[in-house]
Amino acid sequence: MLNLGKIILHTIVLIGFYQVGLLIQTTFQLFVPGSVIGMILLFIFLSLKVIKVTWIENGARFIVDNLALFFIPVTVGILEYYDVFAGKGALLILIALVSTMLVMGISGATSQWLVRRRAEEHD
Amino acid sequence: MIDFLIGIAAIIGTCIAYVFSVRVHRKWNVTITAPVIISTVLIICVLLIFRIPYETYMLGGEWINHLLGPAVVALAYPLYNQRNTLKKLLVPLIVGTTMGALVGISSGVLMARWAGFEETIIYALTPKSVTTPVAMAVTETLGGIIPLAAVFVMFAGIGGVMIHNLVFRLFRLDHYLGRGVGMGSASHAIGTATLMEDSQLEGSVSTVAMVMSAVVVSIISPALISLLL
Repeated sequence: MLNLGKIILHTIVLIGFYQVGLLIQTTFQLFVPGSVIGMILLFIFLSLKVIKVTWIENGARFIVDNLALFFIPVTVGILEYYDVFAGKGALLILIALVSTMLVMGISGATSQWLVRRRAEEHD
Repeated sequence: MIDFLIGIAAIIGTCIAYVFSVRVHRKWNVTITAPVIISTVLIICVLLIFRIPYETYMLGGEWINHLLGPAVVALAYPLYNQRNTLKKLLVPLIVGTTMGALVGISSGVLMARWAGFEETIIYALTPKSVTTPVAMAVTETLGGIIPLAAVFVMFAGIGGVMIHNLVFRLFRLDHYLGRGVGMGSASHAIGTATLMEDSQLEGSVSTVAMVMSAVVVSIISPALISLLL
């Protein structure tokens, strides 16, 4: 019961950061989603020790561990778009796969190359 | 009043479907049994069998939706936990995930445009490499079909897990940093969970890369899209 109370309290803190993120987004007319701004803010506040990790950790852990629960209602919405993948639409699956392969290979190779180069400089 | 009761029923139903699918996933533990897939299929079946329109289900679904924003905010927590990895490898992490974001957005958008798909579909494909709640927010900003964005994210996650051994060999990713950044940038949480099973080190890099690439993709998507289309 105590844990449930903590989860709710911590989630309220997260909602607060989300609202501030939304406020910043609408005030400055930014393209970056308010939720992402809220996340960056929370990370900065945690790093600067302005807020303690114990104020959010139970709520954050519960949400991150059960992230899928929160987007199920939206994914169910796919039932109104089932025809997108019919016929030519199947090509979209192939496009997503090829693109994923490129992202994985190129991002990984870039960072690997950078870290090895740095290691060589130190030798 | 009746709307309220329907809403409550939808929320409880969604939670039951989720808890059930988590159990199934624990038992079989293959990528294709990811809880979101099983829950979604289950709920769609129930809606179709009982002829319940999606709008009716969303009377409750809407309430769960309200927690999506705070769920993105919560990602600061795993990032904070990995702050030492982040500090130590800051430059390779930033450059790697930014490259990944550029390649992911432009390759997806260009191929889809070349194949002649509508813009609302292309906008849903754009953020496929990032975690679902962020991808949906990005697609919303761009004006694409939001549920479709979630499906593309699933393709990138599950597809990435299926082909990751091949990609690791093809691009000679033999360093834990390369593997972690590659998986986290391309296949978000699904990929990260898979890496975590093999190596804690690769998994923690993947966690950082996943959150970073969510930030980078949401920042550069609108500008990059207007260049490409």
